[in-house]
Amino acid sequence: MAFAGQAHELTDSGALIQSDAHLMPNLTTIISVVGASFAASFVEAVEALTIVLAVGLARGWRPALTGAAAALAALAVIVAILGPLMGAVPIRALQFVVGVLLLLFGLRWLRKAVLRAIGVIALHDEDAAFARETHELTEVGRRQAHGLDWIGGAAAFKAVLLEGIEVVFIVIAVGAARGLLGVASAGALAACLAVAAIGAAIHRPLARVPENALKLGVGVMLSAFGLFWTGESLGVAWPGGDAAILAFIALFLTVALALVAHLKPRAVVLA
Amino acid sequence: MIGAIVKQLVGLFVDDELLAAAVLCAVAVVSALKLSGAAPAWLVGLTLALALPAALAASVLRSARRGPRGG
Repeated sequence: MAFAGQAHELTDSGALIQSDAHLMPNLTTIISVVGASFAASFVEAVEALTIVLAVGLARGWRPALTGAAAALAALAVIVAILGPLMGAVPIRALQFVVGVLLLLFGLRWLRKAVLRAIGVIALHDEDAAFARETHELTEVGRRQAHGLDWIGGAAAFKAVLLEGIEVVFIVIAVGAARGLLGVASAGALAACLAVAAIGAAIHRPLARVPENALKLGVGVMLSAFGLFWTGESLGVAWPGGDAAILAFIALFLTVALALVAHLKPRAVVLA
Repeated sequence: MIGAIVKQLVGLFVDDELLAAAVLCAVAVVSALKLSGAAPAWLVGLTLALALPAALAASVLRSARRGPRGG
């Protein structure tokens, strides 16, 4: 683990030079990357689990697990293709593209979380999503009692693939620009394994997860990373180096909470 | 199914079109200023740090004025 900021080294001749260490991640960045990756992946995994459980209970575990496994295989192919490409892209270009995409992605999450917190759009309800998906799959099953259950498998495949692509994007977005893909992947993998283990144990959607609060937090972190990478790719030397990410987290969190407080008369609870 | 997947992938980044346009405009403007040498790096950073939260606030306030809708 490299702890760095802007470091200076003495040459043999005694001249003070600035080392390349400022390009290495410090503890603040590593914790932020793992936290963002874990929290975002946890939310995505919960949503995928809801659909896979619905397929499993309505249509049987074989199509549910087959669809999920096929989606994981497709994701592995995507990662295998994208992984080597990351190393070939110049770091500034990578930071710019990732930064802008993170801004779009993070601010979208943040906007929806704020609107959900004030009651303008409905809270995401895993129980309701589970009931709706189970009902639809059961109805389809009644109409099509024979043949291969590709509908159940396709539903599980699509859910795991879409949520998985979001996880892959988040891992690349928060990890690639600082060479922390391994750290980000570990955070995402831990989240997915945790959700899978809980789901396998309770066989119910994780409806008690405070999903909107998590999404608000993730939106704040992804937006902060997006602002940081975009600025850095344009040559901005942020005050404090990587610690500026914390300031941006505070900035977006303050704005989001101020919006919730300002629009509170129409609000429901933040949960 | 492929069409639905592509639509959802685009939806990952664009929900409110005006918010997406504001973000892209802010980035385009500061990039142009920086590349043309018209603005120093610190001003680029400051502009981004002010414009992006402002775009978020404007988008939320606009949606809140329109009132409740489905998720």
